[in-house]
Amino acid sequence: MADNGSSSSSTSAVFTLNKSSNLECKNLHDYLKTRPPNVLEKLYNHPTICLAVYRELPELARQYVIRILFVEQPVPQAVVASWGSQAFSKEHVYVSKVLSELSVWQEATIPGGLLGWILTPTFKKNLKITLLGGGKPWSMSSALDTDNKARDVSFLDSYSLERWECVLHYMVGSQQQEGISADAVRILLHAGLMKRDEEDGSPVITRQGFQFLLLDRHAQVWHFILQYLDTVEQRGLDLVECLTFLFQLSFSTLGKDYSTEGMSQGLLVFLQHLREFGLVYQRKRKAGRFYPTRLAINITSSAANSRSITMLDDDTHKGYIIVETNYRVYAYTDSNLQVALISLFTELMYRFPNLVVGIITRESVRQALRGGITADQIIGYLKQHSHEKMLEEGKDPLPPTVVDQIKLWELERNRLTYQEGVLYSQFLSQADFNVLKEYAQSNGYLIWSHKEKRTLVINKNAHEDIKKFWKRYSKGS
Amino acid sequence: MVNVMKGVLVTCDGAMKQFLLHLDDTLKLGRKFIIQDLDENHLFISADILDILQAKIDDLMDQISFPLAEKGQ
Repeated sequence: MADNGSSSSSTSAVFTLNKSSNLECKNLHDYLKTRPPNVLEKLYNHPTICLAVYRELPELARQYVIRILFVEQPVPQAVVASWGSQAFSKEHVYVSKVLSELSVWQEATIPGGLLGWILTPTFKKNLKITLLGGGKPWSMSSALDTDNKARDVSFLDSYSLERWECVLHYMVGSQQQEGISADAVRILLHAGLMKRDEEDGSPVITRQGFQFLLLDRHAQVWHFILQYLDTVEQRGLDLVECLTFLFQLSFSTLGKDYSTEGMSQGLLVFLQHLREFGLVYQRKRKAGRFYPTRLAINITSSAANSRSITMLDDDTHKGYIIVETNYRVYAYTDSNLQVALISLFTELMYRFPNLVVGIITRESVRQALRGGITADQIIGYLKQHSHEKMLEEGKDPLPPTVVDQIKLWELERNRLTYQEGVLYSQFLSQADFNVLKEYAQSNGYLIWSHKEKRTLVINKNAHEDIKKFWKRYSKGS
Repeated sequence: MVNVMKGVLVTCDGAMKQFLLHLDDTLKLGRKFIIQDLDENHLFISADILDILQAKIDDLMDQISFPLAEKGQ
């Protein structure tokens, strides 16, 4: 086991071969926060985006925004703080930070020298438009004749499911499905979900990719789209335009068709990409109309909110996994993808047309762990897809023995942690030792120290700095 | 004068530390690798032995585990 890494250790000096970090799932807030202010400014020119941002704000922040929306002058910060009780000052500080980070409001000086908050003019103007109406019509809202081959919701659902599973299938490398476009492969590579094999250059799945597969559908789509957006500018598309369109989609109606009339060339390209991933349906490339699917709708709302919204998984996919206390796994499925996912961490034994039987073994779990999947992800996946029979018996669908054992197998790998360091010993005096220890501690270099033995271990990268400090110190004394 | 040495700090539980000491004593990895025994949970070892050590520990873990489930009928 070469990568005896501990994902739980936080220091960067920890010696692991899984240096590639774990899959990071940003929500809308995290994503926008990292955009430069001028992009945000441009985005806030679109009422849809303002509404999406507003919806995703913490509750307290939403209240602040509404209270000062129609105030045309800065409101003193002390006044804003006084709206909540003292007991919740932590929340106040937090939401103030969020609002500033998203450039929803900005600081302004009030005559008399007080600091106040005022909503960013663009955001204010466009949020008012969402609430009160007005503004320009959406680019996709032009009138359409009725589609003589109209598609209903269930068709769209199965279409989007099929398209999306195509991408997932490709990742797990099952051969039965049709391939995906070079563009999609590029996104997977860019996102670090797959990487080029060193020998033949064909894409292979990475540890982040495995983690990605075990996410719920909503999180998968959002993560994938974010990675896609990272690359749009290289393709010559306008990020702001694409984002705006995406947000408009997220507010559109399922089962209704929209017109492509008046869309720019760039947006049409973007639409074709979304079509490939199953976020929109188009019968033909030049059909002039498209249907958003469930994957695109509410894409911007975070996972916590989306529970209340019917997601693709909930209504079309019932749980299919039964786990027994003897570590056997019965998966009632005929989907190759689900079988492939199960086989990431179980050893498959029998395969029937609608049932797969496998067994969770130490070796199979360790293999998954080596691939970068965590025990929690395995357990989470099994829980999420538990068969309804498992849910009937009690509140916890999985046998505790199996859950515990999977966790123990993970812990077993982390019994040792390694940190590269430099050992300093045989100090001449306790005073010398104390000085160096103080210095290392205050700079965050210290990993370990022992007063009686006058020994300390310091972060490897800090050695040069310590050396300089020691020279200065020795000269001085 | 201060003595300076580069290496790797190992943090582990007591049992694992004894195992490492045993490996060191019996030259199981071909040579001595522990630079300094720090305290009951920490050892300072040379960095170049790490790969071999990890493989050895993996072996040990394999030996002390047994299959929990029957694979047959």
